[in-house]
Amino acid sequence: MMGLTSYLVISLFLFITGLVVMISRKNIVAILLGIELILNAAALNFVAYSRYVTGNLDGHIFSLFIIVVAAAEAAVGLAIIIRFFQIKETIHIDEATQLRN
Amino acid sequence: MIDQLLGFVTYYWPEMITIVLMMTLLVAEATVKDEHAPRTKIHVYTQFMLGLVLVNLFLNLGEKPLHIFHNAVTIDPFSTLIKIIMTAGTMGAIFLSHSSRDIYTNLKSEFSVMAVGVLIGGMLLASANNMLTLYLGIETLSILSYVLSSFKRDEATSTEAGMKYALYGGLSAGVALFGMSHLYGVFGSIQFVEMIDKIPGLAGLNLAIVIVSFLMFFVGIGYKISAFPFHMWTPDVYQGSPIPVTAFFAIVPKMAGVAALVRVSFVFFQEGSALTVTWTGLILVIAAMTMTVGNVTAIGQSSVKRLLAFSSIGHVGMMILGVVVMNEAGVQAILFYGIAYLFMTLIAFYITSCLSDMYGTDSYDVFRGLVYKHPLMAIIMAGVLFSLAGMPPFSGFVAKFNIFSVIIEKKHYGIALVAAINSVIALYYYVKLAKTMIFSEADGEERVLSFTTANQIVIVALFIPVLFLGIFWDSAMALAGNAQLFIK
Repeated sequence: MMGLTSYLVISLFLFITGLVVMISRKNIVAILLGIELILNAAALNFVAYSRYVTGNLDGHIFSLFIIVVAAAEAAVGLAIIIRFFQIKETIHIDEATQLRN
Repeated sequence: MIDQLLGFVTYYWPEMITIVLMMTLLVAEATVKDEHAPRTKIHVYTQFMLGLVLVNLFLNLGEKPLHIFHNAVTIDPFSTLIKIIMTAGTMGAIFLSHSSRDIYTNLKSEFSVMAVGVLIGGMLLASANNMLTLYLGIETLSILSYVLSSFKRDEATSTEAGMKYALYGGLSAGVALFGMSHLYGVFGSIQFVEMIDKIPGLAGLNLAIVIVSFLMFFVGIGYKISAFPFHMWTPDVYQGSPIPVTAFFAIVPKMAGVAALVRVSFVFFQEGSALTVTWTGLILVIAAMTMTVGNVTAIGQSSVKRLLAFSSIGHVGMMILGVVVMNEAGVQAILFYGIAYLFMTLIAFYITSCLSDMYGTDSYDVFRGLVYKHPLMAIIMAGVLFSLAGMPPFSGFVAKFNIFSVIIEKKHYGIALVAAINSVIALYYYVKLAKTMIFSEADGEERVLSFTTANQIVIVALFIPVLFLGIFWDSAMALAGNAQLFIK
């Protein structure tokens, strides 16, 4: 039997994984993947709360919007990364050092 | 039901015109055959439609505040004034983009498309009254901003700026969203009006979850206004972006973020509760840190764009002090600060843009001996710098004075002292730049030619409010002080 707690634990796990990926990985595409994990953690939370606690549809609607926005954000992020790759010929985050004090 | 919804549309004209403008701009841009055509007609059309939006916003100003579209959106004088500031800022940035060499000719009308899109997001954010509109506002604002900051697409710096913006932005939006999801779980609704009813009954675990969730929620807003721990992206993005984009970022997303912070603070936190004390305490500390970090780091900068970025961080720290007092006087002070800051920022970026177009760099050196090369430009820039530093009789002084008066009225003497020290630090680096313009010898004999008559007229016209608001500030305060700014 899956209860609310199991969903919350899974989403917390996804959230922390996303944060760790963003901090530890040096590949920019991997960092974008980390962002997706965080967004999906939030979406899972919304649906779980909607099912077990609140009983209204707000959470479902919200998670649909999250999916749409995440797609838009990934599209723009990837476009910028492609541009970065064309100029620098790498997608390593440590190469992004032109803007400094 | 349908009649009621259609009735609400009359309050929503400004947003609808802006959306129509963005769509028609996309079509108009696609019809341009010559890549290097100057696109003057599209520019005039954009300015005309934005003017129409301004007129509609001013018409809305007199309306009674209310919630429309099933409490999703609030129309009140506060949000309308913020929208007026943002629309004016967009008009200024688009005008600047049209004459600046920093934006490629074939991208000029695309700049308008993106800027108008960001404006739509900002309008949504300024009048957001549930978590969904707030989230959509933040994301509309952010996603288009990523594109804008990587607009000089052949240069590594601009692409890097866009990438940093996108990564930091995605992270903070995700964290804020995670906080929102738990708020939804505890309160059982995403509507602000339904959530506030349940705040007094919170206890135990629920209260703990709500406090942590609000902290996460703050990450999203704090990132948009570049408050202290989340300000790291600001100088890099401001330096890497083309100058019209930087001017735009300094005004529109920032004012939208401040509006969201004010709305969330005032809707959720009634005076007296333990939650409110936590929230205002947090904002107090963050405001102090933001100001100090912004102003102290600004001292060592050699790029004027970067200097203005740090100074904008300092100004935001000052602005959000108006939230701490949690009363209408604080909101009025924030609004006045926003209006004054709009004009000062626009002029500073206009002049920087003009000089950087001429010399190809924005370092301090291009300002050396400017008074001999172009006296009008140097005098106006010096005036703006003094205004930014908060010297009388300019509007920057009155804006700072308002903030000081509301926080001292509430007996926050410690933070007033921090703000005063910060003003002194800010004075140092602004005056240093002014000194470079006036007392340094010019490197060459050349005159500044790229400063056309049209530009001069615009700059002088923008400078009038900087002077005028400082001297006759009662009338401006009356504009910002309509009977009831907010509804809950």
